[in-house]
Amino acid sequence: MDRASRYKIRRTLGRVAFRAYCALSYIFLLSPMVVVIGTSLNGPKASTDASFQFPPENISLHWYARIPEAQIEALALSFALAGIVAVLACILGVPAALGLVRSNLPGKALISTVFRAPLQIPSIVTGIAFLQLFYLIGDLTGVYWQGTLFGLVLGHVFVATPYVVGTVTAVLQRFDMRLEEAALIHGASRWRAFRRVTLPVIMPGVYAGGLYAFMVSFGDVPIAIFLTAPGFVTYPVELFTALENDFDPSIMASASMVIFLCLILLLAVQKLVGLDTLLRTGGGGGR
Amino acid sequence: MTARWGLVLLPPFIFSFFLVAASQSVFLELSFFEDLGLGRKGEDFVLDNYTRFLTDSFYLHALWTTIKTSALAALFTLVLGFPVAYLIARMRSQWAMVLIAGIVVATFVTIVIKVYGLIVIFSANGILNRSLMEIGILSEPFTIFGNVSGVVIGLMHFTLGFGVLLLYSVIQTIPRSLEDAAAIHGANRWRVYRRVIFPLALPGVTVGALMIFNMCMGAFTSAALLGGGRVFTLPVLVQRVVMMELKFSMGATLAAILLVSVIAINLLSIFMLRRMKAAHLVVV
Repeated sequence: MDRASRYKIRRTLGRVAFRAYCALSYIFLLSPMVVVIGTSLNGPKASTDASFQFPPENISLHWYARIPEAQIEALALSFALAGIVAVLACILGVPAALGLVRSNLPGKALISTVFRAPLQIPSIVTGIAFLQLFYLIGDLTGVYWQGTLFGLVLGHVFVATPYVVGTVTAVLQRFDMRLEEAALIHGASRWRAFRRVTLPVIMPGVYAGGLYAFMVSFGDVPIAIFLTAPGFVTYPVELFTALENDFDPSIMASASMVIFLCLILLLAVQKLVGLDTLLRTGGGGGR
Repeated sequence: MTARWGLVLLPPFIFSFFLVAASQSVFLELSFFEDLGLGRKGEDFVLDNYTRFLTDSFYLHALWTTIKTSALAALFTLVLGFPVAYLIARMRSQWAMVLIAGIVVATFVTIVIKVYGLIVIFSANGILNRSLMEIGILSEPFTIFGNVSGVVIGLMHFTLGFGVLLLYSVIQTIPRSLEDAAAIHGANRWRVYRRVIFPLALPGVTVGALMIFNMCMGAFTSAALLGGGRVFTLPVLVQRVVMMELKFSMGATLAAILLVSVIAINLLSIFMLRRMKAAHLVVV
């Protein structure tokens, strides 16, 4: 064997080893979700402990028909909450980003620090902070916000808004102001120029930020665990307490549905703005 | 024109500022009152809770556990994540998008669901332990419930997707032409990694490592579930002390200590990022 072919073989081997290693990382990363979906397909009489059987036995949608009321209510609450939070985060975050990028206020760095502060605070700290704040407000006014939708929305908007500020800022910084000026020169009013030129350009950033906000709220445990009440829990908190107390195999079914929902949302984003926009504007990343 | 944009900024700023200031000041103040249990607090402004933290080996051990598990999880996240990030960043085919989608799904699905999957995978008579024992690699099942390795694995699932995306953006700043140049001059792949990619990625990787470490320090869900009431990190203790023991001020103190350590590490990474930007080491 000559030197060149020996080199070639070594190179190929190296490449194969590298790819195998990456494949292992992927298996590590994705296996829990695959296993949850697989386990959810167990039939009513899997041989061992029904909920833990993987690969599934007697494949059926048995458990999908038996998702208890409590979980469905929790899912509905989480959906509504995440939707409200995403909208509010955009309502707060878009003007904030516009102001941060386009104004020349003194102390802009400080203002931007305030907007980004919630990302620096561990969620569990945010949870206890809002709980104590609500206790204080309740003691003063007699109205307690923990265990209400309003309280949950407040806590989640707090952590979700920075994501919108981040994504929209990222898009705005690349925005060519001459586009808007051109519209103004051609006789558009300021509002019309903004609505017809600027807004369409920053929309991908708004979608990306809104998606982050939705996901942050939809997946949160550490804040919601302080702000929910018995009979009024979000889906992740319901799962959290179920694991600590008694375990119901139907959880795997509802969890699988949530995984599929994430996939669908992702596909929608890919169609709407492209995954690369989501990454390029990744406002602080997932938590 | 620019003044108007300042006005646009004002309402969200006031709202955010109020939320940050109000929420943080209330619990920080509470942390300075003696804890009398059952949600009651003392009258005086004292450092009791803080001295309790520094003198009680239980709390100090929790701090140490938090640091240890976070450091391990951050290290393993880098080791597992860097090659994947490199692979995606250098891929020219359409498959790159599919691989990225896999990572994004993993970051979007809530950690609670992933913990359920992990528990099935690592259960004593689950598929992994049974096959590993059959081959003879393990003599007894490797479980992750209620021990430190479980918490580390849980934390990694919390950070790995995010870590890959972070490292991906770091590697994208290294021009491919530099690798080509090294290869043309006779460096083999390993040498290119060691002498070109690694040194150029190091600053970004260091900052990324600090961010991941920080995420782990504040991670509650995976640590609480996989710790199974036996491994206590600071975030787990915060919830436990407040919700189960109803020690509000002590919980506030623990939260304050967690907050201060996390912010200190954040400032360190921002400071490092500034210096690197000044030295043109990263293009962020």
